[in-house]
Amino acid sequence: MSFRVIKSGFYSTIQDRGRFGLTHHGLSQSGVADEHAYCWANHLLGNAINDAVLEITFGGCELIALIDTGIVVAGADLGFTINDKPLPNWQVLAVKKGDKLSWSTPKTGVRAYLAVQDGFQTTEYFNSRSVNVREKVGTLIQNGDELLSEPVKPSDIGKTMPAWFRPDYKKALILRLLPSYQFDKFSEQQQQTLFGQTYKIGKESDRTGCRLEGQSIENTPATMISEGIAYGSVEITTAGLPIILLKDAPTIGGYPKIGTVFSLDLANLAQRQSGCEVSFELIDIETAQQLRREFNQFFE
Amino acid sequence: MFDIKLAGENTIIIYFGDEVAPELAEKIAFYTEFLQHSLSDFIIDMVPSYTSLLISYRLDLLSHQDFCNQVSTTLAKAIYVKQEQSSDVVEIPVYYDPEVGLDLDRILLETELSLQEFIHIHSQRTYLIYAIGFSPAFAFLAEVDQRIQMPRLKIPRIKIPAGSVGIADKQTAVYPIDSSGGWNIVGRTPIDLSLNDYENLNRFRVGHQVRFKAIDRQEYLSLGGQF
Repeated sequence: MSFRVIKSGFYSTIQDRGRFGLTHHGLSQSGVADEHAYCWANHLLGNAINDAVLEITFGGCELIALIDTGIVVAGADLGFTINDKPLPNWQVLAVKKGDKLSWSTPKTGVRAYLAVQDGFQTTEYFNSRSVNVREKVGTLIQNGDELLSEPVKPSDIGKTMPAWFRPDYKKALILRLLPSYQFDKFSEQQQQTLFGQTYKIGKESDRTGCRLEGQSIENTPATMISEGIAYGSVEITTAGLPIILLKDAPTIGGYPKIGTVFSLDLANLAQRQSGCEVSFELIDIETAQQLRREFNQFFE
Repeated sequence: MFDIKLAGENTIIIYFGDEVAPELAEKIAFYTEFLQHSLSDFIIDMVPSYTSLLISYRLDLLSHQDFCNQVSTTLAKAIYVKQEQSSDVVEIPVYYDPEVGLDLDRILLETELSLQEFIHIHSQRTYLIYAIGFSPAFAFLAEVDQRIQMPRLKIPRIKIPAGSVGIADKQTAVYPIDSSGGWNIVGRTPIDLSLNDYENLNRFRVGHQVRFKAIDRQEYLSLGGQF
């Protein structure tokens, strides 16, 4: 009663909203890298807000459906096909037993989400199905795995996301930054170095963190006593370059942090490949909370 | 005395001091529990560390300013009384030998200690848990006797086997899972501290204590130790 993995792909994991209430034990929150695509996929299917999906990074993935059900593919365009026929993202599709679902290579974006009706019913670890490879909580999907899901008579076939909601992953990305943590410990000139340039996303970026390349911030504050890390914290390394800490990041760290990126901009960041350009601008806490509340209310 | 700062759109960080000290760690453990009890409806996650406490909360229920006010009011009501240190000490058996203590030979040479002396110094102390993080159930313990404090390796190892016991400056810790890392490895515990056993999440708590107990090769093997 499931989908069989024929090709696991480069980096494909089961994720849900995340694992909460355990960071004091060193377990990071984990969860989907792109909350926007994830929420839309579950929303179109009428799923619960926390239902588990398959996060497919870069493609190279092939599955066989062993059941009839409804699905949505959201996020990156990784050349998705069913039985070799190209099909659109952001739309409820019917899948029949024996259908071959496949994702080849990125056309736009990085991560595609496969949501199935009622969510994947894979193993739960500490109240979440999210896999964190760094922590050895679950593993990447493997060839031959069966990803459990219940057969459901698909409803709402053809239901689609309104065009004006569709994100453009090729657009230059501006990350809105909250002036948090040690922001005030950075001089005006150092802040200017951050806000005044366009960075490039570095190659060693993954679900743990996004490394940026560009002009270094000079004489950065020394490393400090380790403290708790919030999702989106921007560490400035001794080399003066930012690392944006993401869903799988360790729970504590000792680099000074110049701010925290607004979560919905991190969803967009999850769809940018290495080499893409990003820049920063300030956002205040009231605006950030208002935007996030509106987003949450839409999907509740 | 405390200082609340913004940490994220639904996260704040509270600083209780700026020096690492056992009294402060115990205080933070107390405040963490107090806030957890008082504001459980709002709190999602808490990360206590050496001098601070990170809290994420449900922004759908209240704003940043309202949450900061709640925290301030609650902390003002919390009267910290120095707790009698609980007599519960987690004991971790350790096989101290160059066979598993990858840096032991070098440390003995640099410190001019015999293996027996080193074992005595490391295992006679009771350590306080200052923070948990880096990876699940990784407990930062301090303070290591000055005679065996060692700076981190210049080039971290790619793979340190699970169970390895390390020293980095004033801190010591056990690696619960295979990981990369730059700590000086002095021995290994046969006990599985990984999430293979979910109970391990409850083994360590900030503010609690840990002691190491030296075991020999035979005991290491009989407790399931591997090479």
